[in-house]
Amino acid sequence: MMKAGGFPYVVPMLLLSVAFFATPLAVLVGFSFTGPDGATLANYGRFFGDAFNFRVLVNTARLGLETVLATTLLGVPIALLYWHSGKTARQVIIFLTLIPMLTSNVVRTFAWIVILGRQGPISEALLGLGLIGRPMTLMFTELGLVMAMCQIDLPLIILPLVAILSRTPVQYTEAAQVSGAGPWRIFVTVLVPLMLPSLLAGWILVFASTSSSFVTQVVIGGARNVYVPQLIYREVGTLFDWPLASAIAVVLLLSTGCLLVTMTMISRHRRLVGHG
Amino acid sequence: MNDFKMTRRHFGLLAAGVAAASAMPFAARAAAGETAIAATFPGNWEDGYRSVLGPLVKEAGYGLTIAPSMAQDQLAKVMASPGNPPYDTLLMSPGQMAVAIENDIIQKIDPSRLKNWGMLDPAFQGEYGPTVTIEVNGIAYNPDLVPRPKGYRDLFENPAYSGLVSWTGFGSNTAVMAYTEMAKIFGSGPNDMDAVFKLFKDHPEHLKGVVDSTNHQMTLFQQGEIAVFMCSTGNVARLKSMGLKAEYVAPETGAPAAPVNIHLTKGAKNLDAAYAYMDAAISKAAQDKLKLPPTEMFPTNKDVALTPEIEAYVTREQLGNMVYPDWVAINKNRADWIRQFDALVAG
Repeated sequence: MMKAGGFPYVVPMLLLSVAFFATPLAVLVGFSFTGPDGATLANYGRFFGDAFNFRVLVNTARLGLETVLATTLLGVPIALLYWHSGKTARQVIIFLTLIPMLTSNVVRTFAWIVILGRQGPISEALLGLGLIGRPMTLMFTELGLVMAMCQIDLPLIILPLVAILSRTPVQYTEAAQVSGAGPWRIFVTVLVPLMLPSLLAGWILVFASTSSSFVTQVVIGGARNVYVPQLIYREVGTLFDWPLASAIAVVLLLSTGCLLVTMTMISRHRRLVGHG
Repeated sequence: MNDFKMTRRHFGLLAAGVAAASAMPFAARAAAGETAIAATFPGNWEDGYRSVLGPLVKEAGYGLTIAPSMAQDQLAKVMASPGNPPYDTLLMSPGQMAVAIENDIIQKIDPSRLKNWGMLDPAFQGEYGPTVTIEVNGIAYNPDLVPRPKGYRDLFENPAYSGLVSWTGFGSNTAVMAYTEMAKIFGSGPNDMDAVFKLFKDHPEHLKGVVDSTNHQMTLFQQGEIAVFMCSTGNVARLKSMGLKAEYVAPETGAPAAPVNIHLTKGAKNLDAAYAYMDAAISKAAQDKLKLPPTEMFPTNKDVALTPEIEAYVTREQLGNMVYPDWVAINKNRADWIRQFDALVAG
């Protein structure tokens, strides 16, 4: 907590936030209300008036949620493995989690072209097992995109989980076991409430990262799977319709913001986080 | 070990030091003469212009910074900073040039400042800048995977191409030129794009391979994901130089073509360096190198002889028979076509 009289030390941060975050954001919002004849709501009308745009918004939210689900299913076991491991194994898990983050998203995305392609390891393995009759590609599919996004965003969910679990004694589960609880009961009544705040933080990070990941969406998803960042890029870079692009950006910001607020409210719910 | 303590005075001195250090490269650059910031297309163009034109501009006493950017992106960036353009020169085809003139972001050049101006054919001496090459478009294909296509109609009628052809949206000049040709074949004329949209609706297998750019298509071609895409001869030259099985075919209905020009942005800060760069781009020394693989750019300097490889694509005499689209009409419809095509592709 800030000590009394600490305000002057916050001033530089506040000034930076106003200059480099609040002001550009205000310009963006202001731009979204501009039209040829002055202030207008027409840009929002144009966005919501086109069913295609609404579908793109829904696609983007669905992609974010699918990736959140996939990263959770993979991230939780890895975090629990970390929790139950010794010092060396923990270092290896952290190393393997952090190493991909040192590589550019663009490079990782292009590596996924090889993995998901007709001659990639997935296709070859399925072919070898006799599960498919001819080479298949996962390129330009939402499944392929979720797989790539899951690998790219997995550290965002593992690291908050590891942070909270590393401060939690393993004896918690042993105490529950002694009290007669089975593995599922321990997981649901002990581990989930323990991990929930970190999970919520991870979900927010993964959702925000996935829904705004322009390069991966374009390269792996192709042109058939259209998401909001591509729509913004099209309006700015191809059609030069900046007011509409600003309106779309504001809609994306608001929808992500709504999710953020919902998640924060959930994370403060006493019963959910085990204080009820 | 003593504890490290940073006082406000130390912090101030450190900040001043960092500021001074970061300003040094600019000071050093100013002392060495102007540097032109030239926007070029990414990939082949970027590599070729950096390695070939950089030394020539340096010989003339200037610096050259090559900034890779697609033509539409160049326009967007310059329009985003009116009066303070991020580039001194732009590289564009007539489609974008028309938009640039309309938005007042490029200026007419002074040909007397270009020593090599007289070596250009009059058709390549534009008032808004010299034409540095002609991009001849057509169809790229992998002969190991598919038969040689005759033209656009063949791609839709021959089942051998099913699922192996990739297209891009109307943001790409190469794609627009192909679509206007297809509109002539399947519709009533170059602007009858409803006929093209119907064609895609009737052949949904062609919609599966739609991606955002030709560069992306080259990556997919390299990976064997696709076997056919709409290309320029430069794309095929690049793929061949990488040892890939890629062949160019001019469509039986004619090869669409587009001149590529260097333009001077309005408010360019390094005019002398920009002119030195323009002059280097149309010089014999540069074009003699750029006509070779992997760039294989068609030379616009009449003193530069064509290579047999370029002559296989197009000769100087054939330039008049190329299909040059009506960019004014295209620009009028482009926004509408882009939105319609995107909605169609997304299903």
